[in-house]
Amino acid sequence: MPCALLGDRASGKTTFLGLLYAAQVKYGTGVQDDFRFHAPMGSLSLMSAVYEGMKDARFPSATLKEEITELGFIFGYLRKVVGKLPYYVRQQNWVRPFSTLRFSAYDVSGEDIEEFIETGIASRPLIQQLLKSVVVVVLVDCSKMTTEIDTPAYKKMLRYDSTVAKLLVAFQTYKRQEYDRLKDSGVKADAPRIYPAFVLSKFDTLRDDVLARLGLHRGFPENKRARKDYAEALLRVFVPQTLSQIRGGKIAGVSMDKAAYFLSWVRTEQHEGMEPVGQPRIVRTGFAPEGGGEPDFSYDEYVEFIEHFRDIAHKIPDEVLEAEKFQAQALARPA
Amino acid sequence: MPHVVIVGDRESGKATFLSLLYATQVKSGSDASDAFRFHADVDSLDEISEAFEQLMSGSFPDSATKEGMRGITFHLGYRRAGRGFLSRFRSRGWDAGGSIALHFILVRNVEEEMSRFRRGSSLASADLREVLESDAVAILVDSTKLGRRPEDGTVGPMDRYDTAVESLLSSVQRSRPRGSGRPIHPIVVFSKFDSVNPKVLHEANLADAPPDVKKTGPRGAYAEALLESSLPRTIERIRARDRDASPFAKPSYFFSSVRTEAATANRGAKIRLRRTNGAGWEPDYSADEYLVLLERLWKIASDATA
Repeated sequence: MPCALLGDRASGKTTFLGLLYAAQVKYGTGVQDDFRFHAPMGSLSLMSAVYEGMKDARFPSATLKEEITELGFIFGYLRKVVGKLPYYVRQQNWVRPFSTLRFSAYDVSGEDIEEFIETGIASRPLIQQLLKSVVVVVLVDCSKMTTEIDTPAYKKMLRYDSTVAKLLVAFQTYKRQEYDRLKDSGVKADAPRIYPAFVLSKFDTLRDDVLARLGLHRGFPENKRARKDYAEALLRVFVPQTLSQIRGGKIAGVSMDKAAYFLSWVRTEQHEGMEPVGQPRIVRTGFAPEGGGEPDFSYDEYVEFIEHFRDIAHKIPDEVLEAEKFQAQALARPA
Repeated sequence: MPHVVIVGDRESGKATFLSLLYATQVKSGSDASDAFRFHADVDSLDEISEAFEQLMSGSFPDSATKEGMRGITFHLGYRRAGRGFLSRFRSRGWDAGGSIALHFILVRNVEEEMSRFRRGSSLASADLREVLESDAVAILVDSTKLGRRPEDGTVGPMDRYDTAVESLLSSVQRSRPRGSGRPIHPIVVFSKFDSVNPKVLHEANLADAPPDVKKTGPRGAYAEALLESSLPRTIERIRARDRDASPFAKPSYFFSSVRTEAATANRGAKIRLRRTNGAGWEPDYSADEYLVLLERLWKIASDATA
């Protein structure tokens, strides 16, 4: 199942991916063994470079960021039924023990999908691949959340809101068109659905006065409903077009109602009474039996993020298979 | 899909009007109550979100944005009554079948267009058939130009516009077969009403502010008193519905205003922003008028598609 990551310039995309990789390494080596991941060679070498840098207290360098055009992981979730089978049975390939989710990050801007917006045709393979995504992860940079209207951060957030809203509507339109094509060809398919996930990146930089104005406290609630209310209170103010178009998906016949919300932060070194000089340095955890020397980040949120896709990964493949079957039929037809 | 034609004099605020309508939808479509949802078509979103950005930065839509804004499609939906109390069923109230699509067509320069049309050519910037088959006509009246017509017989500030709008309404009316069940809904929007000359209101024995948006009767009387002196032909054409059973529905009236900061030597007038309930900002505009207008548009579209 394809999944796309959208984020503004300097919104923390590479850091997010690096931390996701760190969380996967830790979570994927747990004793439960119900989550595994795989990364293609190119992505793996890039991500391990980012990860190594973070273990060395450094944020990803600009050169590394430039190398990202498409970066992917494959998440594997142990199927519930398979989990109950004896160990030697579940190790057999014919059991297809894991539901998979292909997580891809594309470095695209609003202009890249301009062709689709203007002509309704996505000719570039990268854009086609992007528009096929069933899961859309949107990074919202909390360091740009300001109530000062004459600042560049305020204007950047306004622009980002428009770009993401346009991208989401492009996703909805593409999905709707694909669904109509399937229906016209007699393939029975469920109504299209996109699973959005919002990651509030650099949450530690969110200013207290912004939270106070919204009547929010700094801690992110654990309860699902409360998390939604908390995150939407921020999105309503800073990316209202995006939020309204997420909800409006249902009106367009593409449900995006199952949105989920996550936080991302990584602790940086603070020098009392002194302004930091140069690049901030990442704080690392001490060594412990469960691992150490890791970046001090919102690990639980990343685990929540990984777990959020478990149900989706179990549910989605049939729809994707239908689409793939349809494509195979379409290719076979001219012959 | 029901069509709404937007006509307005030059610089009457057509693009600002549409942008404020979009801003109202964004606000209602993202608020905590989740009682209204909308979807903007992919090819409409580019211009309208650009205009929204400009509004939210305190600027009026620039000429490039205005130029690109020709046809905009929104799909609107209100939560169906009786579904709100059980959260499990809440999202069912939003299926695509329950929404209404509305296509807005902007006629850039109605005077020029109508003069071309009278000479036998089609409307240049808007598709003729779309205009003539529209379900509603939103007539923007620039409130800064309201006033008595000159007594010496010279051309008043709105005379040409009045003639052009009357001519457009008459063409739309003629294009309908007599006895057609599909009415044309006139929607009169007084733009820049915060800048209306108070003398004009006093001369017409009118209060400084129009009656509440929900008091449709007194509001209609207030609006028509203003139109009688400034757009007499237009109002006469709309009123003709009472006499010869023409297809015009009862007109609705709205008063649009946006508070601005005066222009200085270095920059033009800026839109004043106000704080919303949260930490956000929005243009300081007549939001209640736009909310009721949105409901009215939804009602027109529902009746048209029923």
